Amino acid sequence: MTDPDAGGGRRLDRAADRMLGASAVQRLLIATASTVLALVVGLVVVAAAGYDPATFLVNVFEGSFGDATAVAQTLRSTTLFVLTGVAVAVAFRAGVFNIGVQGQFVVGGFATVVSILWLAPLAPENAVGGAALLVCGALAAVVAGGLYGALPGVLKAYADANEIITTIMLNFIAIGVVGWLVDGPFRGEGQRAPNTARIPEHVGLPRLVFDVPDFSVVGLAVALVAVGAIAVVMERTRLGYDMITSGHQEAAAAFSGVDAKRTIVATMTLSGMVAGVAGAVFAVMIQGYYSDPSGIGTYGFDAIAVSLLAANNPLGVVPAGLLFGGLDAAGRHIGIYSDVPVQLIDGVVGLVVLFVAAPELFRMAARRTGLGGEDR
Amino acid sequence: MAPPETAAPAVRLDGITKRFGDVVANDGVDFTLERGTVHALLGENGSGKTTLMSVLYGLYDQDAGTIAIDGQPRAFDSPRDAMDAGVGMIHQHFQLVEPMTVLQNVILGHEPTENGLVDEAAARDDVEAICSRYDFDVDRYLDTPVRELDLGARQRVEIVKSLYRGAEILVLDEPTAVLTPQEADRLFDVMDELTASGRSLVFITHKLDEALTAADEITVLRDGAAVGTVAAADATERELARLMVGREVLFDRERRETAPGEPLLAVEDLRVRGDRGLERVREVGFTVREREILGVAGVQGNGQTELVEALAGLRPVASGAIRFRGEDVTGLSRRERIEAGIAYVPEDRQTEGLVQDYDLVHNALLGNHTIEPYARRGFVDWAAVREHAEEIVREYDVQPPTPDAEAASLSGGNQQKFIAGREIEHDPDVMVAAHPTRGVDVGSIEFIHDRLLALRDAGLAIVLVSSKLEEIRTLSDRIAVMYEGEFVDTVDPDAVTDEELGLLMAGRDRGEDPTDARRGEAEVEPDRADGPDGGGRA
Amino acid sequence: MSVADYAARNRVRIGAAVGLLAGAALLAALLDLPVAAIVTVGFVERTLQAATPIALAAVGGLYAEKSGVFNIGLEGFMIFGAANAGAVAWLSGGGSPTQLDLWVGILAAVLLSLAYGAIFAALTIRYEADQIVAGLAVWFVGLGFGPFTAVVLWGNRNSPRLASVADLTVPVLSELPVVGPVLFDTSPLVALAALAVGISWVVLYRTRYGYWLRAAGENPEALDTAGVSVARVRYGAVIFSAAMAGLAGAVLLAHAGSFTGTGDTMVNGRGWIGIVAYLFGNYNPIGAGAAAVLFGGLDMLQIQFQTAGIEVPNRLVNLFPYAAVVVVLTVWGSTRMPAAVGEPYESEE
Repeated sequence: MTDPDAGGGRRLDRAADRMLGASAVQRLLIATASTVLALVVGLVVVAAAGYDPATFLVNVFEGSFGDATAVAQTLRSTTLFVLTGVAVAVAFRAGVFNIGVQGQFVVGGFATVVSILWLAPLAPENAVGGAALLVCGALAAVVAGGLYGALPGVLKAYADANEIITTIMLNFIAIGVVGWLVDGPFRGEGQRAPNTARIPEHVGLPRLVFDVPDFSVVGLAVALVAVGAIAVVMERTRLGYDMITSGHQEAAAAFSGVDAKRTIVATMTLSGMVAGVAGAVFAVMIQGYYSDPSGIGTYGFDAIAVSLLAANNPLGVVPAGLLFGGLDAAGRHIGIYSDVPVQLIDGVVGLVVLFVAAPELFRMAARRTGLGGEDR
Repeated sequence: MAPPETAAPAVRLDGITKRFGDVVANDGVDFTLERGTVHALLGENGSGKTTLMSVLYGLYDQDAGTIAIDGQPRAFDSPRDAMDAGVGMIHQHFQLVEPMTVLQNVILGHEPTENGLVDEAAARDDVEAICSRYDFDVDRYLDTPVRELDLGARQRVEIVKSLYRGAEILVLDEPTAVLTPQEADRLFDVMDELTASGRSLVFITHKLDEALTAADEITVLRDGAAVGTVAAADATERELARLMVGREVLFDRERRETAPGEPLLAVEDLRVRGDRGLERVREVGFTVREREILGVAGVQGNGQTELVEALAGLRPVASGAIRFRGEDVTGLSRRERIEAGIAYVPEDRQTEGLVQDYDLVHNALLGNHTIEPYARRGFVDWAAVREHAEEIVREYDVQPPTPDAEAASLSGGNQQKFIAGREIEHDPDVMVAAHPTRGVDVGSIEFIHDRLLALRDAGLAIVLVSSKLEEIRTLSDRIAVMYEGEFVDTVDPDAVTDEELGLLMAGRDRGEDPTDARRGEAEVEPDRADGPDGGGRA
Repeated sequence: MSVADYAARNRVRIGAAVGLLAGAALLAALLDLPVAAIVTVGFVERTLQAATPIALAAVGGLYAEKSGVFNIGLEGFMIFGAANAGAVAWLSGGGSPTQLDLWVGILAAVLLSLAYGAIFAALTIRYEADQIVAGLAVWFVGLGFGPFTAVVLWGNRNSPRLASVADLTVPVLSELPVVGPVLFDTSPLVALAALAVGISWVVLYRTRYGYWLRAAGENPEALDTAGVSVARVRYGAVIFSAAMAGLAGAVLLAHAGSFTGTGDTMVNGRGWIGIVAYLFGNYNPIGAGAAAVLFGGLDMLQIQFQTAGIEVPNRLVNLFPYAAVVVVLTVWGSTRMPAAVGEPYESEE
């Protein structure tokens, strides 16, 4: 007898199979090949559009690792990509397609700013008060992001609503509602643009190592701690085992006495919580206020590419995040110092995902050229 | 398409060899099917029967050997080629599209069209002509979606489909596996009608008596090689069994005297609903004692799945009670039942019993992950789990003997031994085993049977669900027959014949005249026997 | 399956849609909304126009999924369709496109989408790419290269005013009250979409290709053993779905008259809504078309609210279709998918 739920479960299962079935070395090769191939296509497009690909490449390197400022810019983006990437990896590893990290990221960041603004009058105006406010802001982000992630989890588990589509819709809704809030009810006094008020000066991450306004190694440290914590949860705890088992094979999870539905909700909640942390870091470290989220960058989407490139392994997200951080910094550099449209970088990111999705492409290519793999 | 009047056999296979990697599935097999006859291909699971016929049908390319149809050498690249040459195959898993109607399935790929649109009226005429020629009832439900048909009716649809495509040569792959004994008899009549009209049939089976009943000639395959061809009229079961297994086989396992003890598991007036809300278990009640195996026999889809899932705690109970050692456990969750000592070998080891892309270490934790020493305060102790996995692999003779093997890479028998081992190591009091040897090789079957008997002798109460009559008969102390959700009778395995069990499984009284039953069976409405709940997907 | 059959089998769905409308009417009465000012002839016309791209994308996606490939990249193909149609029309018209240039642009967008569809089909069918991830990738690629095209051509993510498709006015008939302006004095693309929906239905349920398509998504082995190539059927369906989504994007552009590449581009989730439209329509092209009209109406409510003078922030009213999608999926999430969707099929040869 076929389990009625097995269809969806098995589908994800095969998806995971194809992404995770490869050996570690193969995964690394596929990730590298995907990135290189995507960059090559990008360069071809650059050339076809009438720009000089060599200059473009030089700009990419200058913008990402050219000097200390460039490195700081890279690490700034890396911090966000690692956090959002881990948020995605948690869900994907557990077989749940949370495409809503962007929305959870927005809701979390907005909650941070609002809670800090609300609580600021109650806390002393010194470093201790600032730190306390930061913790409160982060907690608010975790709660808000977690709840916003739990919602599609509940809809998937108990109403069978496809989480890919609900999370994408919830992204639109989060961006629309927060955009309306910062434009109307939460607009800071005297703000010309639709922004909230600024959070107080003493609430912020310290400038260590790099003296730049929008990056702090403390933010990066938070990201790395999150990576470690998630890696432990996924690999060493019952919760992680239950989440991965539920995602891989719902029927097997049920057999082992796990409530697969509740586990799906837990997965989405955890994923949303991490996305919330990413939102908090973004709000505090980079912005200092909250602006219309339709213009803050698509960290939550690019995170999907980061996670896939890392084969949904929390530890693999770090190098993948670094790569994307570099690309992002390069994109901003190019926007200023070159006339190549920066949207190209977004397209290249999409191509990376496309190629990562088709490992068979590279395996067949490898077989054709005799580089390895067995013949069928 | 009338068969050409030649003396050449319908099919002649010469020296067919087929390898999959290092495994030789067919080793220089010769096979001749004479026109207008039934030729049985007999062999154990995995002896290469289906592979040989898949080569004939164009699904596989042979590595060596030749195929001749009606004396003409042929090489088929695809089933389409084979079909064009008049070869049809009825697969073990029916090749039917469940939401489409019977008529649409029959004509799939060969639809008559008019002005670009499918001409269902013309198709209907053709199919009705075929049905009336062979006295099939398929034309009575041409507009019914296949998913509403029972398995016997689906099989007839498959046969009509092949005939519609002009098959002169039909390969039937284990056609009786899903049928009651009465339905199987009906199929044999159909086979007679087909050969009487000049068609030639290959009948793949692993059941000796069926081969002797239905075939004119029998070829026995063992380990991919043809070990003998005999005329059915001259053959005996003993001789065939020796050819199949390669040694003398004891037919009757000695029955052991047992002394059941205290009741361990008691079920009262149990009602359970299926996936679509229909009642699939109706007022079932039974008691299983210490040192006792209760066998539950029945044609697949009569509520056995829902019954075992309810016992295991995977499916809610609509009404009634389940008692374990006298205590009501109806409300306990799956997890609480595992911890209470009710073990479960699931029906579907592929999706339930094992996570296919986990290695055996990770699979050893499945169901154990709240139990010390494997898990403490939410953290998993992988070293302890690995030790456990190694123990199971050693004790239960799992091949390959390493806990790092991925579950998916194990053969069915080894997967099942691993699951059985893991469940037995819970040290349970009650074991619910659903189809524990389905798709398992002969060696593993014996191993699992011995373990089940040993568990019983050690004092467990066991509920064994199986659709293999032989298995139920050899292992059970009592046999309950389930039909349409009810226990229609509970019988002593030593005091009942296969014929009687078959009648019970078909929902008849066991004293009923079999010819009446046959007639009744023929009139089964398409959506009755299995119900719309059976076989379909949500 | 006849339309009557469909109606009989989907009584609950259709009942719910009717109930939804009745509920909306009741709500309007309770809140004393000026219904007459909201449900106007113009609203019906705009609703149909807004429904057109959604319906086209939905029919395409439905074909792909029926054949066993979940084309989740509809949104991306739509972005490409819109950008390409705009770019080709602009280039063809030398900066000031005429109606002819616009049609050339639409045609070119469809042809290019066929090519993209072939690549996507090869990746998902031949190279067994994960359909979900590959589909998402198409969206990302579209989000990048769509605006990229705009910046290369126009130096800005948004195009200047190009041209919007002229209404097709049928003499005499267009003078009829209500029916006239809605059906006989409107964008020809609306009629095209209606035609596409009808033809898709006939092909799916009345031709052999439709039989094969359904079999490929339910039991590919059955089709294979019947001697029909599953891969070919799936290639056809996936390429068709990309072309339909490309056409949908081009139609969106032709109605809007210019390309918008900021934010999530002018497509702005319509491809995703297309997927929900065919789920809601239970994989039936006509049902999907009806669902598209429902979503199109929600999309156009904002203008009606404004003209009726109802004070609801635009930004929130704009979210109605997305919220409706979540509600629809929650209530009808358990739609039965074709059994073999997402599984690559390898013929055993």
